[in-house]
Amino acid sequence: MNQQKQKGMIAILEPVGRNLGLTLFAMFALFPLIWMVICAFKSDAQMYNTVFRFTPTLENFQAVLVGSDYFRAFFQNLLVAGGAVIVTVIAGVPCAYALARYNFKKKEDVAFQILSFKFAPEIMVILPIFLIFQKIGIYDTYFGLIWVYQLITMPLLIWVVRGYFEDISVEVEQAAQLDGYTWYEVFFKTLIPLIKPGLVASALLAFIFAWNSFTFPLILSSSKVQTITITALRYIASDTVHYGQVAVASTIAVLPEVIVALFIQKHLVRGLSFGAVKG
Amino acid sequence: MKGKNLKRAFAIVISAAMVTGLAACGGGSGNSNNSSGSGSSSGSGSDQQTGSTGEFDWKAYEGTTIEIQMVQHTASEAMVTKLEEFEELTGIHVEYSITPESSYFDRVSTALASGSGSPDLFMSGAYQLWDYSSAGYVEDLNTYLDDASMISPDYDVADFVQSAINALKWSGVPGEAVGTGQQMGIPLAFEVYTMAYNTRAFAENGLEVPRTYDELLEVCDKLQKWNGENSYAVAVRGARDWGTIHPAYMSMYAAFGAKDFVLEGGKLVSAVNSPEAVEMTEFFVDMIKRGGSSSWAKYTWYDCGVDLGTGNAAIVMDADNNPVHQNWEGASEEAGNIAFAPLPVAKEGDPQISNYWTWSVAMNASSKNKGAAWYYIMYFTGKDFAKYATVEGNSLDPARTSVWESEEFQTLMKDQPGYIEAYEATIENTTILFTPQPYFFETTTEWAATLQDIVAGKYSSAQEGMDQLKKKMDKAVEDIGGL
Amino acid sequence: MIGKKKNKENEAVNYNEIPAHIRRRPYYIIAPGLIILIGIMIPFVTAIFLSFTNYSFRLPKWSFVGLRNWINMFTSKAFYHALSVTLRYGIFATAAEMLIGTGVALLLKKDTKYSRILKVLFTFPLMVAPAVAVLIWQLMTSNTVGVLEKFLNIFGIYNFPWAASHSTAMFTAIVIDAWVNTPFVILLVLAGIQSLPKSPFEAAAVDGASSWFTFKTLTFPMLKPFMYIALLFRLMAALQEFGIIYALTKGGPGDTLMNISLTGYINGFTYQKLASALPYLLVLWLLINKTAKFLVTRQRYLANQAAGK
Repeated sequence: MNQQKQKGMIAILEPVGRNLGLTLFAMFALFPLIWMVICAFKSDAQMYNTVFRFTPTLENFQAVLVGSDYFRAFFQNLLVAGGAVIVTVIAGVPCAYALARYNFKKKEDVAFQILSFKFAPEIMVILPIFLIFQKIGIYDTYFGLIWVYQLITMPLLIWVVRGYFEDISVEVEQAAQLDGYTWYEVFFKTLIPLIKPGLVASALLAFIFAWNSFTFPLILSSSKVQTITITALRYIASDTVHYGQVAVASTIAVLPEVIVALFIQKHLVRGLSFGAVKG
Repeated sequence: MKGKNLKRAFAIVISAAMVTGLAACGGGSGNSNNSSGSGSSSGSGSDQQTGSTGEFDWKAYEGTTIEIQMVQHTASEAMVTKLEEFEELTGIHVEYSITPESSYFDRVSTALASGSGSPDLFMSGAYQLWDYSSAGYVEDLNTYLDDASMISPDYDVADFVQSAINALKWSGVPGEAVGTGQQMGIPLAFEVYTMAYNTRAFAENGLEVPRTYDELLEVCDKLQKWNGENSYAVAVRGARDWGTIHPAYMSMYAAFGAKDFVLEGGKLVSAVNSPEAVEMTEFFVDMIKRGGSSSWAKYTWYDCGVDLGTGNAAIVMDADNNPVHQNWEGASEEAGNIAFAPLPVAKEGDPQISNYWTWSVAMNASSKNKGAAWYYIMYFTGKDFAKYATVEGNSLDPARTSVWESEEFQTLMKDQPGYIEAYEATIENTTILFTPQPYFFETTTEWAATLQDIVAGKYSSAQEGMDQLKKKMDKAVEDIGGL
Repeated sequence: MIGKKKNKENEAVNYNEIPAHIRRRPYYIIAPGLIILIGIMIPFVTAIFLSFTNYSFRLPKWSFVGLRNWINMFTSKAFYHALSVTLRYGIFATAAEMLIGTGVALLLKKDTKYSRILKVLFTFPLMVAPAVAVLIWQLMTSNTVGVLEKFLNIFGIYNFPWAASHSTAMFTAIVIDAWVNTPFVILLVLAGIQSLPKSPFEAAAVDGASSWFTFKTLTFPMLKPFMYIALLFRLMAALQEFGIIYALTKGGPGDTLMNISLTGYINGFTYQKLASALPYLLVLWLLINKTAKFLVTRQRYLANQAAGK
């Protein structure tokens, strides 16, 4: 077979092969989710013996949403996860900037140490944190949880945003300064827009990690601050397991993340090339 | 130069952090337990507010706020619906949290250990209370039961199912059976272990309900795959936690004459490798191989229930109040086909032995609102609430005799053929079969893991597995008896 | 920015010419972030300290026991087993996710309507809480009532034990981990692909290079820094994976899935022997720290290399 024919065949096969591969993976990745949403509409009695043929019902929605504290947990989770991300952004961006611009000895070590907090086993720190929180009275408070979540959210954000700052050459800032902008104006008007993709992407990831956190709220909060991750598992009730209710609780719990992701989706992918390659 | 300053700042802050950290720990040493001592003499009552002078008054603690940690359970759901009424009656405001069962005790253990007094109340079973009361976290409720001014007129302590109240009484001495000593909690609901089966499976195959272990094994052979390739004969729990050992396994273990621990010269020594224990374990393994699910090792109580309800399991040997919920009208595919019988025994005429579990409400020994907390306990373990929880909330088995005897209950249970009979046949010889000791979590979790290994054939024999288990259990309890 | 010190790309500015209030600025800027993070350093120090005691919730007073907890750990079979499980799970899960993730990202490179939709949809598994993901998979793989079981039955495979058997539990856990976390790798590698310069590829196409050749000499080397980041995050997380495994089997069947995180948690929280569990967790932290250090150094080097420095 000559080169031309070969190229022709490849040109036809390639998209077919590509789409096939993508579809296979899509089945793996998406089927469980689709199935979970379907379960939300199935009654307990029909839950197991039919896959797609069933009579849809809203009884699970009613059980979870009406007259229960699901929404309370939902909003509390929103407060805690959202609050954590806001704190992370406000405190983390300047930190990232400083680590990008200022050269002090052991800079890389400090940066690495910050990253290493993310890798700390939650289990290891949770008990000392619990003891300390009890002592200083921030157990079971929003403040306490938001502070602890920084362990999860801040390192990622600092590293991503630092990469973006490093990508911006100093001339840009110096030029803005020459134009007569004050330091603050330079920061907010020039720099922030340039790092927006990375900031937005890592803020989303931070939000996801904070939203789905389980061990921290389990130990560090009880009645005043409830989170959705623990609440969703309660529907494995004590008479029998109500998978339909778990499905409803989980599907609704995923919504905020999905909404945020959809809003920023064009930044999301572009934004994650966090200075992996300099220059 | 700049770097040096920064480094210096860093060093100072870190040293400060270390010093604070050490101080926090040092202070903690006194607080990781509280004034209640080592468990046997607690609840001096001196820091409790007695708001009454001899006459009982529901409003004595008006204006207090108390906190309770609950586990996800039909009883808790019932409690939550009645919190408003309780507040109207007493003026006490209740904050609550409900945690799924799989994570519940991790949360409660940590909270109790802090000694901060929060939560004031928590739900628990007897086994966990051995652990907690040995550490001094549990208030002895006899203080209130013996105090006439703290008992509401219609409380009627004599109405409690005796086994339920006794299961929560313990002297605090490891090795001593339950039934005497401190009242660690008041029961909300309890369960005994029976057999639930699918009447259709037996009828279609012309089989009788097994009464002995041999008959059970025969039924296993005949009913494996009775309803399709995925179906099997007997469902029992198998997950890697204490919940696997305590229902049917422990009941049959004791029926074989085996014990978990024996007292030798004041020390607890594990007896899990005794001939009776090994014989029983071999039987259990055999049963699973011949009639159990292919994924037994991941089964929890609700997996067993679901399999019965979907017609995949012909028999479930578990808590009596588990399969009930598959049998209410319209609850599952096999609803209406389910009936109850007592667990099999070695030979006909042998006593019906079963383990025992109760969910109770217990009080934190460091609580700062003990009087108000006691009122909560009284209200929610009272006769009225018990009836409401059972009849309208399906909370079983009620800890109040009056509920068992009530018309509503009898009507309710008409849907569950054999339930009450199986209960009555079993309750006589029902008690907590484990030897009380504070390391219960460790010993039984390792037991479950060993059982999983034995079933999977990781040991050359059940004897070998149980020998290994004995070593682990002995190590876990080695510091008992020196106290 | 007024350069305070020598910046690699720029000239040094005379330090003494800068007014004091500007000199102190970096400290003000870093301060909030540092305070928050230092506040979290305290637990680390506490954990190390407590590992030398016999601290336990049930003992009224704790006392120093020196190296006893550490010696017990290093001489126990359980520790080495946990280490083995940790490494196996971490390496295999990460390898699977890297391979599949990179592959899918490459497939998504071509911008079609299909790929644009899939790009967004593929992020969804990441958003489901791990405990819920486990629940979904447990139900799907149930031998009696599972959808997946019914699907396998079509091919004549019955009662595949998934998480209930010693031989297939690790595999099952890795499948679930891959389901949740592959999107993360896809995102990172895709971001890398989309930030690659176009000209080398156009030149290669003009020269008539085959896809495989382009991939081997152009795409792969330029993607390496991005892949390293994904590798770093995933490996570190997989080595300390707790939520998925605990929800799946609590470490069972037997001890098959008892990695260091689980061993530490069960000993520390369920059995309440906190001080003896801490050495496990500290070793885990050390392991992760050192591995991360190695990977980060490599990545910075590769990044500089790819930028042509």
